[in-house]
Amino acid sequence: MKTDHKRLLKNLSTTISLVLLFAFLMGWLLKTPDLRKYPDREPVYFWHMWTSGWKNVVDGICDDFNRSQDQYEVIPLSIPAKVGDSKFLLASAGGDPPDCMAQWNQVIPQFADSKLIMPLDELMSPDEYSAFLINTFPVAQKIAFFEGRHYCVPLALDVRACYFRLDHLREEGLIPESAPVRITTQEDYQAMLELLPETIEQMAEWGWRLHRFDDKGRLARLGFLPQWFRMMAPVFGGGFYDWEQEKLTLNTPENLKALTYITEQNKIIGFDRVLRFNSSLTGKHGSDWPFAIGKRSITIDGQWRVAQLERYAPDLHYMTAPIPPHQDGGKKNAGWVHGNFMIVPANAKNPDGAWEFTKFWTGYNDPDRAADHYTEAGWLPPFIPITKTQTYRNYVAAHPQFKTFIDLLNSPNMEPTPPVPFQLLLFDIIKRADDSATRGTITPQRALEMLETDVQYEVNRQKAVSDES
Amino acid sequence: MKREGLKGYLFIAPWLIGFFVFVLIPFIASIYLAFTDFDIISSPEWVGLDNYKRLFFDDPVFWKSLGVTLKYALIAVPLGTVVGVGLALLLNLDIRGIRFYRTAFYLPSIVPMVASCAVFSWVLNPQIGLMNSILRFIGIEGPAWLSSEPWAFYSLVMISLWSVGGSMIIYLAGLKNIPMSLYEAAVVDGANAWHRTIHITLPMLTPVIFFNVIMGTINAFQYFAQAYIMTQGGPEDSTSFYALYLFKRAWRYLDMGYASAMSWILFILVMSITVLLFKTHKKWVHYENGS
Repeated sequence: MKTDHKRLLKNLSTTISLVLLFAFLMGWLLKTPDLRKYPDREPVYFWHMWTSGWKNVVDGICDDFNRSQDQYEVIPLSIPAKVGDSKFLLASAGGDPPDCMAQWNQVIPQFADSKLIMPLDELMSPDEYSAFLINTFPVAQKIAFFEGRHYCVPLALDVRACYFRLDHLREEGLIPESAPVRITTQEDYQAMLELLPETIEQMAEWGWRLHRFDDKGRLARLGFLPQWFRMMAPVFGGGFYDWEQEKLTLNTPENLKALTYITEQNKIIGFDRVLRFNSSLTGKHGSDWPFAIGKRSITIDGQWRVAQLERYAPDLHYMTAPIPPHQDGGKKNAGWVHGNFMIVPANAKNPDGAWEFTKFWTGYNDPDRAADHYTEAGWLPPFIPITKTQTYRNYVAAHPQFKTFIDLLNSPNMEPTPPVPFQLLLFDIIKRADDSATRGTITPQRALEMLETDVQYEVNRQKAVSDES
Repeated sequence: MKREGLKGYLFIAPWLIGFFVFVLIPFIASIYLAFTDFDIISSPEWVGLDNYKRLFFDDPVFWKSLGVTLKYALIAVPLGTVVGVGLALLLNLDIRGIRFYRTAFYLPSIVPMVASCAVFSWVLNPQIGLMNSILRFIGIEGPAWLSSEPWAFYSLVMISLWSVGGSMIIYLAGLKNIPMSLYEAAVVDGANAWHRTIHITLPMLTPVIFFNVIMGTINAFQYFAQAYIMTQGGPEDSTSFYALYLFKRAWRYLDMGYASAMSWILFILVMSITVLLFKTHKKWVHYENGS
């Protein structure tokens, strides 16, 4: 009886093992169903990090591209943004990278320095490269720049400017009754522009009048508060890079002025109070954007909010304008800029297909068609001819507030993060200096000294490593 | 017999291959990489002891992250042990509904970490969070738990207690393993509950405590996910745990050689502490058979 039981168990475990082994082998051997629509064409594997609504826009561009010609098929893949870089790096190191990837992390100099991505003068023909230098906004070229060459094709630019809630301004008497109620035409836009603050100090004063506190002294609405050192440094006449000399400029009087101003303003209102207020804001996107729900009166944000406001808060009366300069030596139309850009790995299997797709997206050969995509998504094109198309002009006419961002693209005072090989580290060190000074842990002067020391150390280290090699 | 052995190896082959490819080879490779400048893509450049020199003499964040991790290990491990043992003692009582209590205290430890981090981010929200709402109800304005110093660090310590149910179950199993004869003898000798706990329960539980302290210490030195999700190392690096900084160095700044050196320092540190605990364990760990 006992032997029978043992035999039964043995047979049972052998059967289960065989079934599992069979399932494993089948899973391994059977081919994944091919989802390609055009299997006869050359595949172009394209990675990006957009999700939800943005992913639909990108998928739409890919579909349009696939319909537009008969040589290539773009196969898009959305990968999680948090691990996008590491997946890309590992795929490249393993010899199986995508043919192109849309990025927004500050990785161009780092990837270029590691010879991970292809320079544009190798990807494009000489004529195409010349056209890139002529037809691309200078600020987009700055984003692509590293040690004398360009390494990415900007797809869309992210420019920040001030958003004003007209109902709050009117309620506080900051704009006259005669001011346009709603910005619907370029005339309204120009008329309102005349009424807005001319200096950052004046705007901070407006902010004080617009703040609202509850009976316990907590912030219920933030009028305006200057924040983000990287954004304010150019506004105060500073910045972190001298593009002519190609060197970093960190501990400068202008930068000190900017950081001191931010620190003082935060100190006056109370850093802790702002921290608590910000943490109470449950959403940052779409319909929950604090500006849209009336939790902020004047805020600094990107051009994509114009399309979002149209969608989620169509009845909101608002205005946009560049960040006004510091009253003493500040720069007009200044700020920090970034964007989305296409990179092509140096070991991509189909760089020609990747470039063909990129040309389609950015409107290299057909700005009119590309303008449809850009206006649908409310994106800022890096390619100047798109802004001159009728479609784009119509879009700006229908959204007068968008003009602010297009004007900013032409400004020489818009600064991306400096193109050093340790760009992400630099960005983090600048943020740390900003955070420490704003919290009041160290003085702005000390924060800049530490910033200078830390960055100089990294510069020297990288130089030593490259000298040795 | 040989045939049986071969079958056995065949069955564990997937694991063995995985171990060699994903653990052993990277482990050995990291010894070499720690002496190089390596960004994954380019070939490693030999830099000798440069990475270690940088770590020890030029990198304040390294020392800060080491300090934060040591402090966490020193606070969270003993705290987790005391709470775990305390809970196990309470859940070892023969009262009505004890199975429900045991399940209730164990359940949090099997909740996915990301989910519990999301919940705690809301609970500890300074303005609209549950914690500060309760404090406000009794007239106290709570701090910005996860975004101000030093509260962010202590919040993470507090959150670590959420998953104490895992070790609590092991303590409970240890308690069940203590022979009843010892308690009976103690009762005959006139020992009260306190004496029985101090002189029988805790000494007999020390092998389990020893195991949990070692595992807890190793986990504390590898602490990563909660800080990565909830604080990202901030504010002002006050929750910049060692593993988090190592991850940043490796994957954000592509400084793989440097990160490899960091991982070896961590390995040696954890090994040293484990060896130290093993060396001292004869003095405070009591085994039933006296070994």
